[in-house]
Amino acid sequence: MTAELPIARTAQAVSGPALERWSERHLRVLMLMPAMLVLLALTIFPSIYMFAAATTRISPNPDVPWEFAGADNFLRLLTDDQFHIALWNTLVFTFFAVSIEFLLGLGLALLLDRYIRRLNFLKTILMLPMMMPPIAVAITWKLIYEPQFGVLNEIMFQLGLPLQAWAGDVDLAMFSIIVADVWQWTPFVFLLMLAGLSSLPEEPYEAAAIDGASAWRQFWDLTLPFLKPVIAIALLLRMMDALRLFDLVFILTGGGPADRTKTLSLYIYQVAYRFADPSYAAAISLFVLFATVAFSTWFIKRMRLAT
Amino acid sequence: MTRSRASLISQRIAAAVAIAVALILTLFPVYWIAGNSFKFDIDIFSVPPQWFPANPTLKHYNAAFIERPFLQYGLNSLIIAMATTIVSLVLGTMAGYALARFKYPGQWRYQISFWILSTRMMPPIVTIIPLYLAFNYLDMLNTKWAVVIAYTAFNLPFATWMMKSYFQDLPVELEEAAMVDGDTRWGAFLRVALPLARPGLAATAIFCLIISWNEFLLALILTLTERSQTLPIGIAGRVTQYNTYWGEISAAGFTACIPIMIFAFVVQKHLVRGLSFGAVKG
Repeated sequence: MTAELPIARTAQAVSGPALERWSERHLRVLMLMPAMLVLLALTIFPSIYMFAAATTRISPNPDVPWEFAGADNFLRLLTDDQFHIALWNTLVFTFFAVSIEFLLGLGLALLLDRYIRRLNFLKTILMLPMMMPPIAVAITWKLIYEPQFGVLNEIMFQLGLPLQAWAGDVDLAMFSIIVADVWQWTPFVFLLMLAGLSSLPEEPYEAAAIDGASAWRQFWDLTLPFLKPVIAIALLLRMMDALRLFDLVFILTGGGPADRTKTLSLYIYQVAYRFADPSYAAAISLFVLFATVAFSTWFIKRMRLAT
Repeated sequence: MTRSRASLISQRIAAAVAIAVALILTLFPVYWIAGNSFKFDIDIFSVPPQWFPANPTLKHYNAAFIERPFLQYGLNSLIIAMATTIVSLVLGTMAGYALARFKYPGQWRYQISFWILSTRMMPPIVTIIPLYLAFNYLDMLNTKWAVVIAYTAFNLPFATWMMKSYFQDLPVELEEAAMVDGDTRWGAFLRVALPLARPGLAATAIFCLIISWNEFLLALILTLTERSQTLPIGIAGRVTQYNTYWGEISAAGFTACIPIMIFAFVVQKHLVRGLSFGAVKG
């Protein structure tokens, strides 16, 4: 895939001053090091700190020393209903939002593949939602969902359907969040699927057409297997994002009503800053971190994505 | 024959309908927030809603950007996004080049690449508590630098992988030729590979700008006052428990989208690659 270059076989590297020669010889380390050190500092340090914090009791009074608490904070996870609700909400949201985005995105891409390539500007317009700041998306949908003067209830009224509180309704709040997320991220799946479709080889389809394979069989036996790597990447990136959902719920519902839209990220935020309990927040964070990394790694290995 | 033509026509109609519906659904919410930002409050709250701002006003833009510090928020956003982009791009380009070109013992290149990507899997909420305490200890809370440092953690893996994929696309022979002509390895990178990777650099930079410009959670926790607060934080601050300042947040929210729309058009050719960390080449 990549040709390796001889490192020290150049004229200057042999004849240059000592420092230059040294840096030339160690270039592969020197070029990689700064990025790795920054990432180590910004991810490994926090992880270690989180572990230390999770195994102690931290008093709000900075003069009181930390007290070792062992696994207490982790055991609390087992009995904390709020945590279970947040976990469940996050999983429900991730499952439905990503599934709908995937099906819509793939369906649209299959339908429009042949036409939209000539309509490049259209593609760019359809991309707008996912580029928008999530906060702008959140206030936009807040405005649309507004029960009194929102546009969605006006449409319901025109259609003769009952008006709803949408994001403020116990049963519809999660649905409302999912719709806003689907609006923002379906274009992402759509775009990736279009890219996958445009790189499909033509011969197998010609052969299949000669053999008289139905469109459905062609899709199932050719298109889907060819698209598999792109599908896997799209799903992985969407799931990673969905599992950390924060912005939309922060603005649209604040986690309510009745905790129906409280996600793990929002719950950690509340525990750490509203309940001022950094130790327990650290324990939940470690759980989320471990679960996300374990899941992503499993998924990447399973789909053979890392090459 | 006639049957396949009929099915072709019906397929075209279906595609046209799908495009029309997708366009309406995509554009209506954007139009709605833009339209509302130009309406007087009474028209924002009108039932039935006013579909088109019949009585346009810049009142809310004035309220947000002149009377309230949204200009400052925007400036903070811009400074933070640019600083983050520069740091991530410099470090990420070097690391991306190293991972694309150099040989490392055993499986190291693969392991390091994967580790760099895996840091991006960390949910931001997980790293933010220790970063908050560290910045508090260093007396850096509520500064733009704290936000820049935190954002770098999320942009650097992205920049590294993007640049790695662009460098892998470049033919290695050109750098070899430069080195045969007496250039150093570093010189070949600087004078041959880097200029050739310019489109990739531009695309990566724009993506870093967009990611930083849009980010909310980290800024929410690391900033406290208008000295360092960004545009998304300013907007969220006008959605309070008691009142939502619809006009103001519409004006600020729509304004926050404008640079993003321009950027989206500029990077449209690189969009797929950027969104997939360089994994899918559009």
